[in-house]
Amino acid sequence: MEIVNDFVYQAAIIIIGLTAVCASLGVILCSSPIYSALYLIGNMVCLAMLYLLYHAEFIAAVQMIVYAGAVMILFLFIIALLGGKKELQENSLQRTIAFGFAGLLFGELLLAATVGATKPIEGIFDPINLKVIGGAKAIGLTLYSKHLIPFELASILLLVATIGVICLAKFPLKQIKKSLNS
Amino acid sequence: MGSQFVLIVSASIFCIGATGFLIRKNPLVMFMSLELMLNAVNFLLIGYSHFLKSLDGQIFALVVMTVAAAEVVVGLGIILTIFRTRHELNVDEIDALKG
Repeated sequence: MEIVNDFVYQAAIIIIGLTAVCASLGVILCSSPIYSALYLIGNMVCLAMLYLLYHAEFIAAVQMIVYAGAVMILFLFIIALLGGKKELQENSLQRTIAFGFAGLLFGELLLAATVGATKPIEGIFDPINLKVIGGAKAIGLTLYSKHLIPFELASILLLVATIGVICLAKFPLKQIKKSLNS
Repeated sequence: MGSQFVLIVSASIFCIGATGFLIRKNPLVMFMSLELMLNAVNFLLIGYSHFLKSLDGQIFALVVMTVAAAEVVVGLGIILTIFRTRHELNVDEIDALKG
């Protein structure tokens, strides 16, 4: 029973991982931005499922709410506002160079991933802590004790972003147009 | 097997995102490719936090998510401002800052 469960677990991880890779291919290959956005939502949902399978329940919930919810709604609003025009995709020299660069990068990363893993990685936590890892309580305790400064800095970053966007939106448009025309 | 699979999937998604950023001309799709790359890094952090049985990777992923949210908000605001002034959305055409 244990072996069967482990097999199902591994198979689920592999299938969902492959789906995530296929969805990310859809993001960059679709000509229409709205389809790209939908594929990106699919990719994020797949990643959230993987987080669940890796026992990171809190991060999976945050991924669904922040990414697949808030960020993608923002993207869809902007696409609806600007009109999702189809993009002509023609082959050019730059495109070939880009593909070559990305292929090279992938090859290097693959080499780094497969070569040299001689020692199995070991955990530093004891098995009692293993059960609670990933829950909201464990994350909150770590966040408010060991990682308090990054947490506060993140809140300042969000405040700065909010103020910046308000400044961008309130900026008088006539001045920009005048300086562009002159 | 497990940790190598995480590495390979994360590398694939990151490289696909990098390709998308390089080959697309619509700034919205370029931003989506950026999100793909950030998501790939998040997946790697969380996978390794599972294998190392440590919580630090998940905290890091949380911080990356915050940065991504702030970046998307500011980036989309800039795209919107560019569209309001120039009425086009092609990164090849936007060259007012070119010397």
